[in-house]
Amino acid sequence: MQEHTSHTAESLLELTVDRVVEDPDTDTRILVLSRTDGKTELFMIWIGAAEGESIRRALDTSVTPRPMSHDLIKSFGEHFGVKTERVVLTDVKSSTYFATVYLESNGVTRTIDARPSDAIALALRCQAPMYVTQDVWDRRSGQNLDAWLSKLATKNIGTQEV
Amino acid sequence: MITQMHVKGLMFDPYNNAYIVILRDEDQSEMLPIWVGKSEASSISLALESVAPPRPMTHDFMKGYLDAVNAKVISVVITDLNENTYYAKIHLTYEDSEYTVDSRPSDAIALALRSQAPIFANESVIRKQTSEELDQWLENLKPEDFGKLDS
Repeated sequence: MQEHTSHTAESLLELTVDRVVEDPDTDTRILVLSRTDGKTELFMIWIGAAEGESIRRALDTSVTPRPMSHDLIKSFGEHFGVKTERVVLTDVKSSTYFATVYLESNGVTRTIDARPSDAIALALRCQAPMYVTQDVWDRRSGQNLDAWLSKLATKNIGTQEV
Repeated sequence: MITQMHVKGLMFDPYNNAYIVILRDEDQSEMLPIWVGKSEASSISLALESVAPPRPMTHDFMKGYLDAVNAKVISVVITDLNENTYYAKIHLTYEDSEYTVDSRPSDAIALALRSQAPIFANESVIRKQTSEELDQWLENLKPEDFGKLDS
């Protein structure tokens, strides 16, 4: 595999959500992330069903009759004038990914520790960019699952649950 | 008029494949059941048992968000029941101002438990609820349908 590491200050790669796929064997979802720089490799994270559906709703920009949990967090920000500036996938330990959410208000930046699923569910609602460190990208798992995933995806695409 | 409520427990509703949060008032004379989803029930259960999961769950993240900006939850109020959907308001302070944010009761309760904030219900909500099919439904429940949290 070819990697062109950019040696910027933090070596961050911008991500976009490719799709959310159901894992038929468990009550989880697979969050499939891709890079915005045109590289074709994917990055997969197993997340909870509720968080997966929340991300799916954000992608569809579907509106639920009542605000869901991540809509509520977004609403706090709108009320307070706090901006979700960006989210970064910062670490992976024993297959658990760690994210940091950057908030900005009155010129002050604050950070929150989060699971990637919550961070991304919020970022999508706030049009905030999502990044992964080069280090975490290089250590991602599931790199050989492309074929398996594409098989799975054709079965599951369009099975939107609300 | 509003009444302060306490979370007495969680039950599984096998007919609707959903969970019910049981709120009761101080003198146990009023009860307010709220149907919630599985993930919300799980979040409320973790807060009731004071279990700290290895990674922040969604409502822990929500609390983390508020902590990060020094916002504080003052109280939450279950305000309305309309076509079986409950409405709640979360009252907060942020930078010396008060804010009221619309939410689902499940989010409001999950957040209140993590913030040591009181939970209130409008009396109209309690009255509406007790007059509906609930009494009959509860009579049909067996003790084993109640979770261990109803202590």
